[in-house]
Amino acid sequence: MLRLAAHKFLGRAAAASSSSSSSRPVATRFYHENVIDHFNNPRNVGSFDKNDPAVGTGLVGAPACGDVMKLQIRVDEKTGEIVDARFKTFGCGSAIASSSVASEWVKGKQMEEVLTIKNTQIAKHLSLPPVKLHCSMLAEDAIKAAVKDYQAKRAKSNGTEAADAPLQEAAKA
Amino acid sequence: MSTSKKLSSAALPHLLRRRYFPSTACPPPLHDARSPFQLCSSFPVSNSAVERSSSSVAIARFLQNPRVFPRNCFCSQSSGEFSNARCWNCDAQPEPGLFLVCDSCGVIQPVDRSLDYFRLFGLEKKYEIGDAHLHDNYKDWQKKLHPDLVHSKSEKERDFAREQSARVGDAYRTLINPLLRAMYIMKIVGVDVNEEETISDPDLLVEVMEIRESVEEAPDSKALNKIQSQLQEKIDLWSKSFANAFESKSFEEAKDCIRRMTYYERAIEEIVKRL
Repeated sequence: MLRLAAHKFLGRAAAASSSSSSSRPVATRFYHENVIDHFNNPRNVGSFDKNDPAVGTGLVGAPACGDVMKLQIRVDEKTGEIVDARFKTFGCGSAIASSSVASEWVKGKQMEEVLTIKNTQIAKHLSLPPVKLHCSMLAEDAIKAAVKDYQAKRAKSNGTEAADAPLQEAAKA
Repeated sequence: MSTSKKLSSAALPHLLRRRYFPSTACPPPLHDARSPFQLCSSFPVSNSAVERSSSSVAIARFLQNPRVFPRNCFCSQSSGEFSNARCWNCDAQPEPGLFLVCDSCGVIQPVDRSLDYFRLFGLEKKYEIGDAHLHDNYKDWQKKLHPDLVHSKSEKERDFAREQSARVGDAYRTLINPLLRAMYIMKIVGVDVNEEETISDPDLLVEVMEIRESVEEAPDSKALNKIQSQLQEKIDLWSKSFANAFESKSFEEAKDCIRRMTYYERAIEEIVKRL
């Protein structure tokens, strides 16, 4: 299944990155080296248990292209640090690459910190063409949704929102 | 772009030529109305439109006077701007109805973009088209318009044939697909179906995730076909919901139906790729 996802990724990533200017030729097509990297070494594809209290799940979609993206984070309850992440995306190569990058970048960071990740940073990292910018936006929204989900779960389990107030303030920022 | 503010009877022919005889290759739209007031609507709306209405009527009469504007002033691209469209080849007045091919001399006319796809196929502007014989109508049109049938004709007519044939093809493909038809009818009534925003509706997304996962994990083509027919049923269901929402002008609900149909269509595309 990973191979199929990877093959799909390659085919679409080629189309998505073919207009990139800062690229090395591979066969007769051009890929950005970051996209090649994510293809050859797929990382973080998979799922956590949704019901695990330490897991936040962000599920977002882009109706225009029929893309759907799931990003899950595992958070250390004591420190608030994101220790692990998994993603699953159905859509074009740019969407898959964006969520892959997002899953990499959130690891080892605090929740307030990942909320500052902007889609423009992801797009720049992958040299996304303008028509694919909304894919990086989807990834940014997925990160925010995952954090929000985790916080909501914590609030429910604590029975109060007081404990999470500082984090929620940061989320609103 | 010149505005009606600068109108004077002396400057009028020049202004109109500049406005309606553009140098671009694409012909401007024809107006398929019989009323002499049609002309007023083609000028930009201005604050003093009311005062100008009487002069607009005068202008309209002035322009329709064949002695003032003899027919060779109207090149083929613009003949339809005024309320009496005429054949560019034989100058015959068309029969009422669609004017893609001249009934008198059989020559193909330039594309009229004000004709929406529904009218092109003789349908009302309604989403539900029922048993519209789209394929038969499509074949009939192509028999008259297809570029391959006009080899011996002038280059101008071949160009018109290419554009007309392409447009009829687009119309057919749009109308025959429920999702495309839905998106098209929303567009022509002026509802913006901008889908650039992210959605986070959990029910829909969880369902779509599950569908896409089952497509990816399907063991054989039999399983895929089963999923495909289930998806087709869903599309038909939501297509009916769209029709109801659209008729009752609940456009938010209609957009929601379009969103769902888009997701199901994408999943079907994936299935087709795997089959």
